[in-house]
Amino acid sequence: MHISFLIFSAYGMGGTVRTTFNLAQALAEQHEVEVVSVFRYRDRPFFEPDNGVRLSSLVDMRRHRPTFDGDDPEHARPARVFPAADGQYKQHSALTDRKIGEYLSSTEADVVVGTRPGLNVHVARQTRRGPVRLGQEHLTLATHSARMKRLLRRTYPRLDAVTTVTEADARDYRSTLRLPGVRVQSLPNSVPEPDVAPADGSRKWVVAAGRLAPAKRYDVLIRAFGEVVRERPDWGLRIYGHGREADKLRKLIDELGLYNHVYLMGSANPIEAEWVKGSICAVTSSLESFGMTIVEAMRCGLPVVATDCPHGPKEIIRDGADGLLVPTGDVRAIAGGLLRLINDEGLRTRMGKAALSASARFDPAQVAARYEELMTSLVNRRAGTLHRARGTLLGGAYAAREAARLGVKYALEGART
Amino acid sequence: MILALFDTSPRAASPRGVAPRGVAVADPPPDVASPSVPEVSVPGAPAREVPVSEVSVPEAPAPEIPAPDVHHPRVDCMADSTVGLTFTVRLFDKDAREIAASQVPESAAVLLRLRHHHGPDASLRLPLTPVAADGRLRAILPSTTQLPEGRWDAYLSLADEEPQRLLPGVHDLRSLVSGGSPSDAHAWLGVRIPYTTKNGNLAVRAWLRRPHAEAGTLRVEDGAMVLRGRLHGARLSATACLEALPRDTAASPVRVAVRPDSEGDFGPERAPEGPERTPEDADARHSARDFTVELPFASLLPGHQAWDLWLRPSAYEEPVRLARILDDIPDKKRIFTYPSRRVSDRDGAIHSVKPYYTINNNLSVQVTTENGQAERE
Repeated sequence: MHISFLIFSAYGMGGTVRTTFNLAQALAEQHEVEVVSVFRYRDRPFFEPDNGVRLSSLVDMRRHRPTFDGDDPEHARPARVFPAADGQYKQHSALTDRKIGEYLSSTEADVVVGTRPGLNVHVARQTRRGPVRLGQEHLTLATHSARMKRLLRRTYPRLDAVTTVTEADARDYRSTLRLPGVRVQSLPNSVPEPDVAPADGSRKWVVAAGRLAPAKRYDVLIRAFGEVVRERPDWGLRIYGHGREADKLRKLIDELGLYNHVYLMGSANPIEAEWVKGSICAVTSSLESFGMTIVEAMRCGLPVVATDCPHGPKEIIRDGADGLLVPTGDVRAIAGGLLRLINDEGLRTRMGKAALSASARFDPAQVAARYEELMTSLVNRRAGTLHRARGTLLGGAYAAREAARLGVKYALEGART
Repeated sequence: MILALFDTSPRAASPRGVAPRGVAVADPPPDVASPSVPEVSVPGAPAREVPVSEVSVPEAPAPEIPAPDVHHPRVDCMADSTVGLTFTVRLFDKDAREIAASQVPESAAVLLRLRHHHGPDASLRLPLTPVAADGRLRAILPSTTQLPEGRWDAYLSLADEEPQRLLPGVHDLRSLVSGGSPSDAHAWLGVRIPYTTKNGNLAVRAWLRRPHAEAGTLRVEDGAMVLRGRLHGARLSATACLEALPRDTAASPVRVAVRPDSEGDFGPERAPEGPERTPEDADARHSARDFTVELPFASLLPGHQAWDLWLRPSAYEEPVRLARILDDIPDKKRIFTYPSRRVSDRDGAIHSVKPYYTINNNLSVQVTTENGQAERE
């Protein structure tokens, strides 16, 4: 198969970029794979694809290049295809509409994969007749605005399949969007085997990593660690990442007098070398659409103490076997979970080993095999049916009726999120 | 006739790591357990070291294979428990395909150059040799090699070509986290931490100290800071003191007595950093000694300036700079930070006092006069 991924920017260092490259590289073992980046901000990507994965870009944002597209007047006009409901609407333009459209209407690929809702809308509306259209959801349906949900309900029936990163989100898609003729399947993000030997549980550090954003609730983690220090002052906490919460967290650490035990480390790449310096990973988010750091830490042999937040953690961690799930936002419970592993070296080591073997299911080769199965069946299904036309009609009819009926409910959900 | 064979097909006849009997060998083959100590060489001087186990034929030197066109060479670093560093390089061609070790000239080396310095001590060549396990090239910086203090930029040196910068790879520095085992077997204490420079290249931060006063937990109280630390390579006498030396030499130094910690004194004030210490090796073999010192902030007032903190082991010994270098973090300044305290001097003027680490990881205290704050207090 010829598989083409469409991504906002392959030149960033976020989770979508990493997981897309991991998947693309694993699929490239058997297939012809390309990654098409809408924007190009840098000469070289942070993560260099190898294994024959082709990388190309549509809009050049490098000022120093003669091919710079940023001054194109077409780029100053607002996008019409890329939806305003997508958080990255502002970066898109009439120029990206046209370039993405040209690529999708001429692609030779057998399977086209969109990697965020706005791009999935492009894939649904602009892909030429023939290729399988697959839309990935890396966030969750529940966190989208009512406007976005209405748009997806209208547009996604023109896709062949939607993938989510958790089973819980796949259920949401099936039950609230009802996309006739569209396969909805959960396929987790993948994390490759790290290049460092796994942790052995002997180092007295708890490690956390991720953007310093409010949803990660590092304030809760720091307070919980204050309780840990009272009982085990020989243990420390390192938090990797940067973000707008940095100053607030710094203040909290100073206020609680934890500056000899809790450290804001800044970003680290590759992070795996930092996981193995610790013996326990802590994730205290209020929301994790997947929970990439949980898998990363487990692949390094760390047991994870994670809050049981929607949706990712409970689908990754088997509570009590390869990690611990604790109630979201509960300082005492989080401290309790950490202390349970800190005070019991045997348990810590056993869970670390269990985490190491359980997390192998997220290996790119395994996830890619599941993608391959899905893609192959979709390509075969396409080969002989007229389902597209049927799906589109049904979808349109459903969309009109359901949107009217559910308008109020969506508005409420929107207000809640 | 063996020599003739070498001339026509040197690589086939003399695989690396095999030294035919009866032929002179320049150096013993390296191994991890007893690495050869690399020589310090003058930058730009012709490479003299014959890579290990290469057969040298004086009259007709085996021609080296031409250096391949290497793009974006990366190096994985690993620190071992004795604080030796292993560099494993990954070389790529212009299409990002990995180049096999056999394609690389045998004179290939990792070159470390001390930034802003020239001269014989400012450059160090570490020969690259293939590793049997994965066929990659590896160089070793043994714990026994002294690396003068500073920032050492890492280069790949191939044959006669201009050395090119090495990019960082995966750095396994877990053995450094709790200070490794800074060996007191040498007459000096060396710390080397590989890190990524602002421009994204690989460099090694080095410290070379003896004696050394390592700063540990530091608590900022209302009127004073309480510091715990450990002295390496010197004894704490009854006259030991902490000296705060003003950057502005007009003010006079401040001295406060240092209290040696007794055995097992690491009670509730313990912190995760610092190697575990067993009582019996405290003084005898390692001659390291834990201490506590309290520096009253009032003694640093009035004034608007920085104070550098030193530890004087006894009245008759030179002071030792207090620093925090025994772990895996090359730059402490932004990671080890402390709250500031507002302190009023005798005239009621308010000063803000804040301990901090300098860009060289030395411990200092900044005193800042707060204008117009006096009335409010």
